[in-house]
Amino acid sequence: MSHEEYKQMIPAHAVSALDPAEDRMLASHLVRCSECRQELYEWQATAAVLVLGVDGAEPSPQVRERILSQVRTDNDNVSNTRVIPFPPPRRNVWSSFGSLGAIAAIVVVAALLVNAFVLWRENRAFRYEIAALQSEVRNSQLELEQKSKLLEMVEKPGTHFAELKGMQTAPGATAKLMYDSSGHAMIMAKGLPAAPADKEYQLWFIVPGKKPMPGKTFATDSHGSGMMEDQVPAEAMNSAVFAITLERKGGANSPEGSMYLSSGS
Amino acid sequence: MQPEPGQISDVSILQAIARRDETALAQLYDRYRVILFGLLLRILHNREEAEDVLQEVFLQVWRRAADFDENRGRPFTWLVTLTRSRAIDRLRSLAARDRVALAGAREPSEEVSDAVDDALKSEQKTVVTTALAQLPEEQQQPLLLAYYDGLTQSEIAKKLNAPLGTVKTRMRAGLKKLREQLGTKSVNFGF
Repeated sequence: MSHEEYKQMIPAHAVSALDPAEDRMLASHLVRCSECRQELYEWQATAAVLVLGVDGAEPSPQVRERILSQVRTDNDNVSNTRVIPFPPPRRNVWSSFGSLGAIAAIVVVAALLVNAFVLWRENRAFRYEIAALQSEVRNSQLELEQKSKLLEMVEKPGTHFAELKGMQTAPGATAKLMYDSSGHAMIMAKGLPAAPADKEYQLWFIVPGKKPMPGKTFATDSHGSGMMEDQVPAEAMNSAVFAITLERKGGANSPEGSMYLSSGS
Repeated sequence: MQPEPGQISDVSILQAIARRDETALAQLYDRYRVILFGLLLRILHNREEAEDVLQEVFLQVWRRAADFDENRGRPFTWLVTLTRSRAIDRLRSLAARDRVALAGAREPSEEVSDAVDDALKSEQKTVVTTALAQLPEEQQQPLLLAYYDGLTQSEIAKKLNAPLGTVKTRMRAGLKKLREQLGTKSVNFGF
């Protein structure tokens, strides 16, 4: 994914609206890219202003009490920690060397400052790494939820399954589609080539003698895998061919791009 | 939102908190509790959960005040980002568990007295609500679903029955327009 594509994702990230896979990718990009981090701070400031449109509300006084009581306990623990006194100062040997001693002291202070700066940068990098890991945990939870949904559908009586095979445009790609008796469908695709920034993959329901019916669009991750839920139209419940094409972002009403996967023979 | 003239700045308060000054934390709480709790109630729709998250947020501020970096933005932005992020985390973990139960127990976010509301700088509030209202419906809707309901773009696409790409484009355009509108207003947001 390019720098510009990551940049496009930042406003949605500022309102926590990115989907797990994108969120994970952007988090690791932010660790490396200071320009995007700066951009994020600006979008966060815009998002924060929205809070001014909300009606204020008064929490119960106990909340303040609980916070301050916890804070006092923290401070008491710190002050009760045993204090180790500094040893009495020794004779300053540097004074015997006059300015030489002063120069050495300056060198030591400069080295400490450089060291502090390096530590500060590392600390910042660690914080971003922790943020990326937290986002990964959240993503894993969502992934788990999706897998549970899949399992639930697989076990449901009357679920239909279809296998989509890669066309010449993507011979290694495959996809599995399943839908229940209400038409609720889930599709998992893998091995698809990365879509250009202005395009997305789109699902189609093709019934003989009728115009292909558009499904939803979906994005793929860096491994070319993607997953989405859709609704199979009533007319396509019994005898449809399912296909995936590459279309302009947002999807098309009738297929315009190349076909990548199809359940037809 | 920014301190009144003569008030200690938010940055100074955070610096005092970083030095473990309890009264500074109390001061920051008194300054922002109403607006942050309003946001939490709007997102979580449950007083108990909202109070719990508010407590977590201020304890996090107490422990992480030293991490605040003025170069990344204003303290207010930091506080709101922290609060929203905690609220969305809570909302998503509740969703996995008992969103239905919570929805049943939803409480309307109660408005505070006029005096307190005045303190919320009603002029700023009007500007923000007007800017939001001026967005086309198709841009406003996904933005509000993300900001207050914690939905991801895919969830929004599903809810609105719209292609994901369209939702992404509309959300980006809405936020961009909002930034332009708020940026050109004479009201000083302090951000």
